[in-house]
Amino acid sequence: MSAVFSVSDLNHYVGEVLAADPVLSAVRVQGEISGYKKYPSGHLYFSLKDKESQVNCVAFRGNAAHFSFVPENGMSVIITARASLYDRDGRFQLVVYEMEKDGVGDLFAAFEKLKAKLEAEGIFDTAHKMAIPRLPRRIGVVTSPKGAVIQDIIHVLSRRFPNFDLLIYPSAVQGQTAAAELRKGVEWFNSTDLVDVIIVARGGGSIEDLWCFNDEALARTIYHSHIPVISAVGHETDFTICDFASDLRAPTPSAAAELVMPIKSELLSGINGLTDRLTRSLLHSVAIRKNRLMMLSRSKALLSPLRRVESESQRLDMLTLRLTHSLNRRVDISARRIDKDIASLDALSPLKVLSRGYSLATNPLTGSCITSVSQVSAGQPVQIQLADGLVHCKAENIQAGRIL
Amino acid sequence: MNQMQEYEKLSFEEAMIELESVVGRLDAGEGTLDESITLFQKGVMLSKLCSTRLEEIEKRVRLLTDDGLGTKKEVPFSEESITGGEKE
Repeated sequence: MSAVFSVSDLNHYVGEVLAADPVLSAVRVQGEISGYKKYPSGHLYFSLKDKESQVNCVAFRGNAAHFSFVPENGMSVIITARASLYDRDGRFQLVVYEMEKDGVGDLFAAFEKLKAKLEAEGIFDTAHKMAIPRLPRRIGVVTSPKGAVIQDIIHVLSRRFPNFDLLIYPSAVQGQTAAAELRKGVEWFNSTDLVDVIIVARGGGSIEDLWCFNDEALARTIYHSHIPVISAVGHETDFTICDFASDLRAPTPSAAAELVMPIKSELLSGINGLTDRLTRSLLHSVAIRKNRLMMLSRSKALLSPLRRVESESQRLDMLTLRLTHSLNRRVDISARRIDKDIASLDALSPLKVLSRGYSLATNPLTGSCITSVSQVSAGQPVQIQLADGLVHCKAENIQAGRIL
Repeated sequence: MNQMQEYEKLSFEEAMIELESVVGRLDAGEGTLDESITLFQKGVMLSKLCSTRLEEIEKRVRLLTDDGLGTKKEVPFSEESITGGEKE
């Protein structure tokens, strides 16, 4: 007969054996979570099971805090744990250090497979991509109407172009129905022709969350869209099939808003610049011709057929009349800008300064401004301009140096 | 005014491209004075049209809703118009 153990000693011994085993001290186990419970202490208790068996697991608060997701019953996971025996109950359990979602590897493989297939079909061909209009009259967006994404888009658009026109097709952006809803959105915009460009958008999320944007049918719908499609899914580092199939990939939804709408003030100054060039060019070509005509009319060879000069001169008068007419039209366009200029000129006007109590001294003989005592000699007349009139004075004596 | 009617059909983008080309041709200074003046007038019309196109866009944000019969209806969009606190 061998030695008789107490229960405590036995449990303690088994615990030691488990701890000493090199495999069981860091074992990776795949299974489905069940009986999940989080205690107020922050520790997580659950079972991991497969078709035939299950094992008790505990994740202590310190480790559980580092999990990248919240475990749920039914979730398929791979845990990294050490085996231990709970002394009091003599129960075998796994103490979990790390937990990752299972099936992510499969998703990547499916993604690469679909990408290769569509690429071979030419769905991603650059030659097929449409240009985004320079100024969309109306923008369609397929996204969730809740949450930050649509607000970000609206915010960026209103900053760039205050009178923008946006039409939102509400769609789920994750889950079972999302891919079909997104597709219907793009199809709806294509059938109604209400917008010049479509943005398909979603904020950041896990690869599972973004999965609906890797849908084959959605990629084909985007490819066949006769309205340009901008894909704006997740963060800068997230790439989806949708991104490859679209006409333009934006790194984020906010970036899509920047790409789709120009800055209005920049467009306006571009138009004004071109209009200024029009005027300058025309005045320049008139000046050149006028100069040439004057030279010719002075030349002796032309003095005899004076009538020709007269008729040219008459023609010039006619053209000048037309030019004046044209310039008047041009004035219409500039009027608004000029109004602004007048307002700023007014702020700088000497009259404004005078009305604040300052005055302007001039030499009535020369009419020039007096800015130094050296310009005045005793007995000389000085004219003081005030806001509401003139005072005619005579200089009594001159004192140099700063007084104020 | 035939020209203006023709221009009325242009989008902002097309009008901008046309304006750039007119300015380029006028800058080159080729042709007769009559031609220059015609170009200038064209340019002024196009410039007006471009500015008009910028202002024509109606400021609005609309949300499509289902009327239950499968047809979509546009309603003004605001955060308050979205019921439920579900996050996307």
